[in-house]
Amino acid sequence: MGNDQANKNLKIVLFLCTWGPHAAFQQLQDKDCRIPAQVKMVRIPCSGRVSKALLFKPFEMGADGVVLVGCGSGVCRYGVGSITAEKNVADTRKILDLLGLSRKRLRLGAFSPEEPQALLDFLNGFIEEVGAIGKSPVIRPVKPEKHNDHSLAIKEIIQKHDVYSCQECGKCSSACSLTLAGKQYSPRAIANAIIGGKVDDPQVQKDVWACLTCGICYERCPSAVNFPEFIRDVRAVIKSAQGNGNEAHGGFFGSLSRTMTSPEIKGNHWNWLPEDIKTDSSSKVLFFGGCAPYFDIFFKNHLAPSTLDSVSDSLRLMNFFDIHPRVLDDERCCGHDLLWTGDRENFLKLAKLNVDAINQSGAEEVIISCPEGYRTFVKDYPQAGLDMQFKVTHIHEFLEREISKGSVGFKSLDRKITFQDSCRLSRHMEMAEPARKLLARLSPLSFTEMTDSGAGAICCGNCAWSGCDSFSKALQVKRLRQARETQGDLLVTSCPKCQVHLRCAMKDPFFGKDLEIEMMDLTSVMAKTICWE
Amino acid sequence: MQKLEVIITGFGGQGIVLAGRILGQAASLGDHKESTLIQSYGPESRGGACSAQVIISDGTINYPYVRQPDILAAMSQAGFDKFVNDVRPEGFILIDQDMVKVKGLERDYFAVPSTRMAEELGRKMMANIIMIGFITAVTQSTSLEATRQTVSASVPKGTEEMNIKAFNKGYDYGLSLLKARDKKASGQAGALA
Repeated sequence: MGNDQANKNLKIVLFLCTWGPHAAFQQLQDKDCRIPAQVKMVRIPCSGRVSKALLFKPFEMGADGVVLVGCGSGVCRYGVGSITAEKNVADTRKILDLLGLSRKRLRLGAFSPEEPQALLDFLNGFIEEVGAIGKSPVIRPVKPEKHNDHSLAIKEIIQKHDVYSCQECGKCSSACSLTLAGKQYSPRAIANAIIGGKVDDPQVQKDVWACLTCGICYERCPSAVNFPEFIRDVRAVIKSAQGNGNEAHGGFFGSLSRTMTSPEIKGNHWNWLPEDIKTDSSSKVLFFGGCAPYFDIFFKNHLAPSTLDSVSDSLRLMNFFDIHPRVLDDERCCGHDLLWTGDRENFLKLAKLNVDAINQSGAEEVIISCPEGYRTFVKDYPQAGLDMQFKVTHIHEFLEREISKGSVGFKSLDRKITFQDSCRLSRHMEMAEPARKLLARLSPLSFTEMTDSGAGAICCGNCAWSGCDSFSKALQVKRLRQARETQGDLLVTSCPKCQVHLRCAMKDPFFGKDLEIEMMDLTSVMAKTICWE
Repeated sequence: MQKLEVIITGFGGQGIVLAGRILGQAASLGDHKESTLIQSYGPESRGGACSAQVIISDGTINYPYVRQPDILAAMSQAGFDKFVNDVRPEGFILIDQDMVKVKGLERDYFAVPSTRMAEELGRKMMANIIMIGFITAVTQSTSLEATRQTVSASVPKGTEEMNIKAFNKGYDYGLSLLKARDKKASGQAGALA
């Protein structure tokens, strides 16, 4: 019983369905049973309504264990609640494993009103089990300080990006993806409202959060006002003042990223790695995989994306060239999404942890396949003043470098392809060309560009898991129509998020099969067809 | 005693003699072996047939002419046709694939698009340096470091960086070609298992 003292300090959150099990819980209270004091009960209308984001949120706040207790399968008052709860718990447990928090910290139970004792035993058993793993390594993030007056900070941001040089020509509004999707929206108007001191105006703030930061306005701006970075910095100020995030998916991905800021977390980022892929823990080349493993689990039930393919096929291509890179088990989120949703503090924490881990590993070159990760490593980490003792290469650059050495060919591909640019590569990094050089090496039936391509491409409709609305959908639909117009049957992508977002639009029941087109990451297409000649 | 007889052949103006000189110098000054160079070109030296004969040996070389080449690097059809039948059975035949058509050659050979690669690098005249890189990778007649340094010391001042780039390109191409052959021989031609 030596663990009793340690177990007393555990923090357990119990989500309890109000229908069946709550009655059992009440009986325990009525009979004055000793309900473990560690358990903090939250009464909920149905276990199926506790989303993955909600199941995960307590872990971000430092909980040691979470229990979701509902009604048994078939007894659910709403029919599908129990089944949904089972799926949500199963997926969230996988995510906990990846994170290195252990799946055992989350458990699902089902009890009827007649089973108070069984419920009590269940809770006690869970506490024992969590006690055996120990306290959670997650440190509860500090709430951002409240700044009452941020006019000075805003003024500095305006100066930093020289927003004053806006000539009000309106090229940004005529190019803005959101405006073209029909939204009443104008980057120029936002910039000038903020210059005019109206940053606290609710409409201005709404617009600041709605921006996709896709960068097409910057691409077109004759005065070169970097509007996306301006918006990013303004968000950091208004977020610290009001804590508003505008996150999609219940804020799950923000929670996930913030959880990874705890230095003690030892992740299991590569526990899914297929056996045919070779890695080498002493290699001078490190592959940074990014968040795709989380995406595939999170969206499994509804979009079933396979964004993980871009990661494993990048690794396979590296293996093809006899490079067996090192991977970091406790690789963390690069912080891109936090940075672009105004959470600069936590971004910095992640950045520092990643850079320290890579510096310590002794790797000389880091190869990244995710466009967001690449931008963050190449632009934002150095801007944050981090000392990186390694060079960063995008997988497209790496492939071009290796393939141009010669003796590599591509088998013919029996598909008509078109290509979706990622905003981070094509505009932010001005790297639309490397992907096209690679595409030109392939031998598909045909390769046709969409009406808008390269630096002028239409965005996939969302950025940093925030601000998803009907205009995002309109954009996605427009983009998919362009893809279909090429008469192609394979949409080649370069960003995992493009795949998630475009697939979401394809699943729209109102469009039926009108928008459907198969998607595959460029690295996967190459891995399938590459061969030594 | 190890002795290597090399013929580099092409048109006058392709830098064939320079290539031979670099190879021989790399062997003697860099790898501390003995080497000789004989250059021969016909009356039409600007654009006509041209060849450089190099001998690399661990011991004294008594006769500087090549009798049976171990290595033939051909950058023109005429040169290829003239020497191809003299090459030792276990020797290497290297060609610029855009300048030479092998026509019914019944033995193994190594091809590199050196002229095309040089054009892509911006200077057609560097094809010879690419060929040297290719010879170094495929035949290992001279060591990588010695050859690279000799290239750097033999080209006009100010063009060293460019020529080293060309050399590396040829060298990488050679390595890649050897790797491709290995991979195909071991049955792993693609990226997927």
